[in-house]
Amino acid sequence: MAISGSMNLKLVCVRRPVCWPYGSVLDSRHCVFALTLLTLLMQVVVEANSWWSLAMNPLLIPEAYIIGAQPLCSQLVGLSQGQKKLCQLYQDHMQYIGEGAKTGIRECQYQFRHRRWNCSTVDNSSVFGRVMQIGSRETAFTYSISAAGVVNAVSRACREGELSSCGCSRAARPKDLPRDWLWGGCGDNLNYGYRFSKEFVDAREREKSYPKGSYESARLLMNLHNNEAGRRTVSDLAHVSCKCHGVSGSCSLKTCWLQLADFRKVGDALKEKYDSAAAMKLNTRGKMVQLHNKFNAPTSHDLVYTETSPDYCLKNQSTGSLGTVGRLCNKTSEGMDGCELMCCGRGYDQYKAQIVERCHCKFHWCCYVKCKRCTKIVDQFVCK
Amino acid sequence: MAGAIIENMSTKKLVIVGVILLLFQAFAFMVGGLIAPSPTTAVHYLATKCVDTVKHRQESKWFMPWGPDQCAKIRSFDEAMAKKIEANNIVFAVHIPLPHKEMSAWFQFMLVILQFDIAFKMYNQIEDGALVTVDVGLAYRDDTVSEWTEMAHSFEQRKLSCNFTTTKTFENEGRYYECDLLPFMEVGSVAHKYYLLNIRLPVNERKKVNVGIGEIKDIRLVSIHQNGGFTKVWFAMKTFLTPSILIIMIWYWRRITLMSRPPVLLEKVILALGISMTFINIPVEWFSVGFNWTWMLLFGDIRQGIFYSMLLSFWIIFCGEHLMDQTERNRFSVYWKQVGPIVFGSFCLFIFDMCERGVQLTNPFYSIWASDVGTELAMAFIIVAGICACLYFLFLCFMVFQVFRNISGKRTSLPAMSKARRLHYEGLIFRFKFLMLVTLFCAAMTVIFFIVSQVNEGHWHWGEHTVQVNSAFFTGIYGMWNLYVFGIMFLYAPSHKRYGDDNSSGQCITGDAGANSGEDIQLTTTITHVEGPTELYRMTGKGAQE
Repeated sequence: MAISGSMNLKLVCVRRPVCWPYGSVLDSRHCVFALTLLTLLMQVVVEANSWWSLAMNPLLIPEAYIIGAQPLCSQLVGLSQGQKKLCQLYQDHMQYIGEGAKTGIRECQYQFRHRRWNCSTVDNSSVFGRVMQIGSRETAFTYSISAAGVVNAVSRACREGELSSCGCSRAARPKDLPRDWLWGGCGDNLNYGYRFSKEFVDAREREKSYPKGSYESARLLMNLHNNEAGRRTVSDLAHVSCKCHGVSGSCSLKTCWLQLADFRKVGDALKEKYDSAAAMKLNTRGKMVQLHNKFNAPTSHDLVYTETSPDYCLKNQSTGSLGTVGRLCNKTSEGMDGCELMCCGRGYDQYKAQIVERCHCKFHWCCYVKCKRCTKIVDQFVCK
Repeated sequence: MAGAIIENMSTKKLVIVGVILLLFQAFAFMVGGLIAPSPTTAVHYLATKCVDTVKHRQESKWFMPWGPDQCAKIRSFDEAMAKKIEANNIVFAVHIPLPHKEMSAWFQFMLVILQFDIAFKMYNQIEDGALVTVDVGLAYRDDTVSEWTEMAHSFEQRKLSCNFTTTKTFENEGRYYECDLLPFMEVGSVAHKYYLLNIRLPVNERKKVNVGIGEIKDIRLVSIHQNGGFTKVWFAMKTFLTPSILIIMIWYWRRITLMSRPPVLLEKVILALGISMTFINIPVEWFSVGFNWTWMLLFGDIRQGIFYSMLLSFWIIFCGEHLMDQTERNRFSVYWKQVGPIVFGSFCLFIFDMCERGVQLTNPFYSIWASDVGTELAMAFIIVAGICACLYFLFLCFMVFQVFRNISGKRTSLPAMSKARRLHYEGLIFRFKFLMLVTLFCAAMTVIFFIVSQVNEGHWHWGEHTVQVNSAFFTGIYGMWNLYVFGIMFLYAPSHKRYGDDNSSGQCITGDAGANSGEDIQLTTTITHVEGPTELYRMTGKGAQE
């Protein structure tokens, strides 16, 4: 396999959320361990590709968009047939889809930084590895946050006039021209982002068909539901801002516009939905129903899952779990980031690490920070 | 003497007139809802961070965010930190409009709102009452190649009011503060095609300028302008309404002057109402398309203010002149108590408007809300105006109550009159009440539509069609008050019957003189000084003397 070089990169990715904010404190023992992990991973079977790989694609730089640059779409790995078609139609959107996927993944890693599964990416076009083949809560979260990331990114790009086919566009839409005479149609960016994301992200699921009641059809329904939940979270959290500018600044004339929420808030909301996700099963008619029907049925804003999460404690090739060996933990914490839970009872190693920190900093709004350097010795705990 | 048209017109004709007016009303709503686009549009801009590489600042240098001669950009401030670029060398550039678009004079006005994206950092939090000082320049050009011409340049202060909704811990670093929108700029005419804003946030530690304002990540602007399509529909409407009101006004005044007696106060007030309506109607805005008249926005405010205060005064005088007590009215000075609050309130709003939009004529970045003193002053004006409005409505409600009480009191004495006379008075009361109800209806419609347009997202979907509720509100309500003024001038004009068969209504009164002569002698002799435009005057005057 030719991916061994980039495998290293992935391992850094896994560690980064954990090591932050202490900087690089990994000692050589861990690098040895990393190498062993790497060799193990070499044997991993090639997983299903996903559009998430757009987040990692170096092709997606703005300069690559020359009109008629058809080959681009075929060069992008991880796109399904329908997504390739959409790519050809809306080439300028691809960059923002990649950006959206990237924000989604980054947010996922932030939200799960203290969890056994920390949303780590593997370096192939499946992005998250085999874990996504299990219809677990984590999978549900990943699908929803990435769909949300796309809505966010496409709406933003649309609003800034970067996309040719939406609201405040460079080229006017001939059909709607009479309505927004002398440009009045910049209002529905979020709607556009929502619709495009639905079209693109769901395309993969929509083009497949499985026999009713099969495992795959359950996964398909679950993915579609979670994608929708992610998208709705973005539009639910968007808030209306208004400005009054009538006579003497009164509200007889008022202009309102939708403002996208900080994506961190979308992440927070989806994390809450992850905690209250509903377990589902297929009924005899091939429809999704709740496993425990004493709870309220999930709405289209909630996350659903069909399978229990795999054991993330130990590395397991068949589930794709990377294990928590080598993860930093917090000795005093009772929560998921505490050593007891994080290390799954295997115990931990204690290190004394010297950390050089910036401290007593004086900031200005931009570009100028005056700090002292403080060294301190801290205890660090790493799972066995 | 004969009364006004409303008294002498048959119910059938009155209904016809009402239906025609209603049709026009529906048309006015439809023009806004179906033809016009939404009244205003908000466009978002994200400021590009340009680097001013020159050590000594050149005044004439403008930074373009994109296009052929774009500036040297940085993507984030981490980059700036690495390159050791100072705050004073960073220029936030915003080009209005977005690429491949151009502004147009049809936009009428443009106002810009400023928003900071400030990330939370434990060691760099926003201090209480932090002030941001911006050094801002506005330039324009009319084609894509020529040099930028400076339009305005100013140092402005804005107060940051931001709050952080989550706990202030290291965990939450990087989340954004929630900041209020800041008024930034307002121009009263959009005469140029391209505008460029260059914003700097200069730091001066000694003078505490831009210190403690947190970690600004981005500057976002929202520009609001009136849609060109709406402007065109609006102008068309004004152009159509001006002659209609003007013609009925001339017709009305000609009727008044044809009478032998001098016009009474109510007639004069109705004329004044017509004049102020025409004043607001005259589409002088057409000039703003060709000329760069930045004062048009202020002028529009003044015209609206005059009309509103005229309308409010009219209601007071209309009620007062139908009030049935002994006091002799028919003089404007009688109403000083009621009209006083209107005049004073509008004067306060005028001063406020002059302070805000008046100053903006010279400095488009000025905002009265930016400084503490200004905010207090502005609030004081608005509160005083609000108190005046409350006072006025108390007076008005009291007067309307009195009128209705007196009318119902009059009703009890109706059965004692002869049949012809009774029917005549009953008709009068009905029509007077009808007009009162129309006024109430118009006011209620205005309030309801105002609420709907505030609550609503702006448009409704009806299958294929989109109805622009906000535009319908503006054209509909504007049309409604025009029709209202039109209707009043038409219905309160002296009736034709005065000239043709002067005796008919006179006979009506003298006819039943036999029955209760004493009353009617009074009616025709002693009440002559309150000769109003309607017979109701005489009736009410009599009622008062009873």
